Amino acid sequence: MNSDSSSARALSVAITGSGGSGAVTAGLILLEAAARAGCYGLLTRSSGPQIRGGESAAMVRFGMQPLGCMGDRFDLLVGLDWLNVNRFADEIPLDGEGVILFDPGVGAVPPALAGSGARQVPLPLKEQAAAIDGGRLNMVALGAVGAICGLPREALAAGVERVLADKGGGVLKASLACVAAGYGLAPEPFAALPAPAGGTDGRWNIGGNEACGVGALRGGVRFVAAYPITPASEMLEWLAPRLEQVGGSLLQAEDELASINMIIGASFGGVPSLTATSGPGLSLMLEGLGLAVASEIPAVVVNVMRGGPSTGIPTKSEQSDLNIALHGMHGDAPHLVLAPLSIRDCVFTTQWAVELAEHLQTVALVLSDQSLGQSRVITEAPVRTPAPLARRVEEEPEDDYRRYALTADGISPMTLPGIPGGIYTADGLEHNERGTPSSQAADHQAQLDKRLRKLEAFDYGPAWAEQHGAGPLAIVTWGSTAGAVLEAAGRLEAGGVPVRVIALRLLAPLRRAALAEALGGAESVWVVEQNHGAQLFRYLHAEQALPAGARSLARPGPLPLRPGEIVDAVTATT
Amino acid sequence: MNAESDQPIATVGELLAHALELELESAERYRELADTMQVHNNPDVASLFHRLATYGDAHAREVKQRAAGLELPTIAPWDFKWTCPDAPESACAEDTHYLMNRCQALQLALHNETRGQLFYAAVAESAPDPDVRFIAAEMAAEEEQHVAMLQEWLAREQCRAEEPPEDLDPPNVSE
Amino acid sequence: MMTVAALRAKDYKSDIKPVWCPGCGDFAVLSALTKALAHLELPKERAALISGIGCSSRLPAYINAYGFHGVHGRALAAASGLKAARPDLTVLAVGGDGDGFSIGGNHFLHACRRNMDMTYIVMDNEVYGMTKGQASPTTGPDWMDSKMTPHGPGVRRFQPAAIALAAGAGFIARGFSGDPSGLTRILAAAIEYPGFAFVQVLSPCPTFRPDHRDWKEQVHGLEAEPTGNAVEAARILQADDGMTTGILYAEELPVWQPRNQASASITEIEEEFRL
Repeated sequence: MNSDSSSARALSVAITGSGGSGAVTAGLILLEAAARAGCYGLLTRSSGPQIRGGESAAMVRFGMQPLGCMGDRFDLLVGLDWLNVNRFADEIPLDGEGVILFDPGVGAVPPALAGSGARQVPLPLKEQAAAIDGGRLNMVALGAVGAICGLPREALAAGVERVLADKGGGVLKASLACVAAGYGLAPEPFAALPAPAGGTDGRWNIGGNEACGVGALRGGVRFVAAYPITPASEMLEWLAPRLEQVGGSLLQAEDELASINMIIGASFGGVPSLTATSGPGLSLMLEGLGLAVASEIPAVVVNVMRGGPSTGIPTKSEQSDLNIALHGMHGDAPHLVLAPLSIRDCVFTTQWAVELAEHLQTVALVLSDQSLGQSRVITEAPVRTPAPLARRVEEEPEDDYRRYALTADGISPMTLPGIPGGIYTADGLEHNERGTPSSQAADHQAQLDKRLRKLEAFDYGPAWAEQHGAGPLAIVTWGSTAGAVLEAAGRLEAGGVPVRVIALRLLAPLRRAALAEALGGAESVWVVEQNHGAQLFRYLHAEQALPAGARSLARPGPLPLRPGEIVDAVTATT
Repeated sequence: MNAESDQPIATVGELLAHALELELESAERYRELADTMQVHNNPDVASLFHRLATYGDAHAREVKQRAAGLELPTIAPWDFKWTCPDAPESACAEDTHYLMNRCQALQLALHNETRGQLFYAAVAESAPDPDVRFIAAEMAAEEEQHVAMLQEWLAREQCRAEEPPEDLDPPNVSE
Repeated sequence: MMTVAALRAKDYKSDIKPVWCPGCGDFAVLSALTKALAHLELPKERAALISGIGCSSRLPAYINAYGFHGVHGRALAAASGLKAARPDLTVLAVGGDGDGFSIGGNHFLHACRRNMDMTYIVMDNEVYGMTKGQASPTTGPDWMDSKMTPHGPGVRRFQPAAIALAAGAGFIARGFSGDPSGLTRILAAAIEYPGFAFVQVLSPCPTFRPDHRDWKEQVHGLEAEPTGNAVEAARILQADDGMTTGILYAEELPVWQPRNQASASITEIEEEFRL
């Protein structure tokens, strides 16, 4: 049947269409319906460059186990129409076991898709839609999809009601009728999904950008400066009203040069602050980030990575900003770089980044990406972790208060504007302990040592990476690729190949000793990542953190790395 | 330039407030000049300005003694009735140069003291209140003494008129 | 009570000796600012001075208040973030003409437009002093003394006051370092103004623009009360020779400031994701 046999079954469905045909809405409802049926799920989207009415595709994968990536293939493709669908051919791998659902009235299945050998199932979707007052073809198609996938009718209805809640009674009624009609049209379902083990209580339906927003609020962020950029804008838009609700604010800036300096100004005033951007924006922010590092003012930037370099591929994911995140600032400017490992992990990692930045008085870059940011997941609710870390504020400075005092752990208590007796001038210029600008060798050495020491000496605990399994084969990865790597590992283990996975969440400062221990005794080490320049592989080599003979699987975007691809690569030579 | 300079000083309290401001401001400006000369490695002129600042402090103390028991009005910084743009004894900053010599510094001080003396002389002549005129006249006389002292000092230095020397170093770039 | 204005202004001066050249106009700005702060009786720890890069941007360290010496051209951005998050502070942004009108130009436009309650003081010496004397946006087109523009900039001057007005600022003033008394009055009014107050201070650089010694003859005060009418102000500023001092325009306009008032908990916000 499908290659998911080693893990519990999951179904992958793609819905394509254009010109406002509602492919994405159908996808959102399908995800919600799967959730109501007790499934975990993952939704990603793809679209053409038009602002409206362009071709779009919704891809939904759902099953009884948590999902961290898209599968190797699709079980079902629903074409609401065939306009420009070739754009998506690469992203929706079909084969002879798959099914293509369509209304023959929209035309024959294009060769790019037909050539896959998938079984073509024509249905009178348009006719059914026309028969219902206000009926839409996408809703009929959705009903048919639900039936083929074995989703209960009630789950579909609940999905419609939730997703279309603010569309008004007429739309809701028509949509429910269409879904019911489509359900009745469908041929044989795939083998039914197993019944859910437990209830769905405590699960969330959330997108990656929203999850970063939740993490920011949980971490204490109360000021955000924002400049729109694909694919980060939704995070900022989600935060705007909700920051206000918790007593904070969002200020829309005139450009990224402004937004980074705004958050530094607010943070200088004592308020945890954050901004979000993508590669081109991060490039602009580098000078400001250096200022935050040098003046030891906490600042967090979430970089929702996209295809690079330069304008690149704005709507597609890639993990190619590791280099700039690690090395982009001029001078010796140690700072934190983190990468969430899944949509759910966006909550924890962003929160942790905020707390670390505050406590260590430094910059934290959070490397999310488009595949996390603009996708949605059905997942367990992220556990609310307590926040033991906080900014070390000097509320009652003594007479000889020194803002940049050399302390054992490198962290100097910080006064805030408003605190009497603690006046100082924060400076990007190198300075002495008092903050007075200094070009003296001893001061520069001491402050550089301190700014490095405070990061290196800190105990980050076990969250620096997620580790799974054991075995002579080790796969190292980071960020969003962790999902595909973990699924690949599951398949390998089921197939009798023991494998350990180390998914890095904290990339800088690198936990060399912990990584060495994690890789200890491995006979074969692979580094898997989604970029052209094997950026993590080279970084780890430069840090002498990889054994000789370690191999790299590095592929750029726009296509996601798939579990099967990873399995093939790591087993090819063994 | 303040708009009220054609309004005369009306009370002794007002006069003493002006006198105090004049001395305090003068001391502040000389101290500022002393600092900048020190930062620019002209210790000779720095110490001279510092000395002039201490004279200003001393004169301020004298004014305070004179004002003992009196309630002096609080005057907003821009409401002082100077007859020229800035407080009379405050240095004209643009005439300074980091390579200036003692002579030039003394000439600057002389210029300021003279303006101070002229200020009091003008008040002594035109203030409506006789007590004000009386005290202003006393102060003008004291200022004359300061002027004379500076002239003597200048004579001792055997000054010749000259421009600041040519700077053999190009300006530095600091950041 | 003794008038202690001079003493208290001293309280606002830090111990750090300015590195400005003797004769620099910025000394007068520093002095006037301390007097204005003293006159307004502003607690030192409640004031924050934000600057960029340049000789003028060194000012925060010389004032006994919280200071932020940031990167070139971005003082207004940092000041805006600080004020949004800490409305309780009195926020002043300071810098020079290069920092403010060249690299900082975009932030200048939007700060005028946004009208947050802060004061922006630009010490305009019509040159980049710190980097050894290049033309700045306010330098005249025929100034030949820079190696970087040996034929003179050849470009018309940036007009800060007119641009501030067009960009939406509600308080526009010009001061002169050679008129400290007038400058003090302007700065006090600017700090008190509820909104974005822009003060351009003609502040000559004796090292790179010794030709500006003649400014004291050219500067003249505005012979009128400041207008509160933007159209009238536009007329005045377009006809202005750039040497008129005083408050040129003052009108109260809507101020942008977030409320910073909580109405929900994070737990309540997270409800939207629950199935």
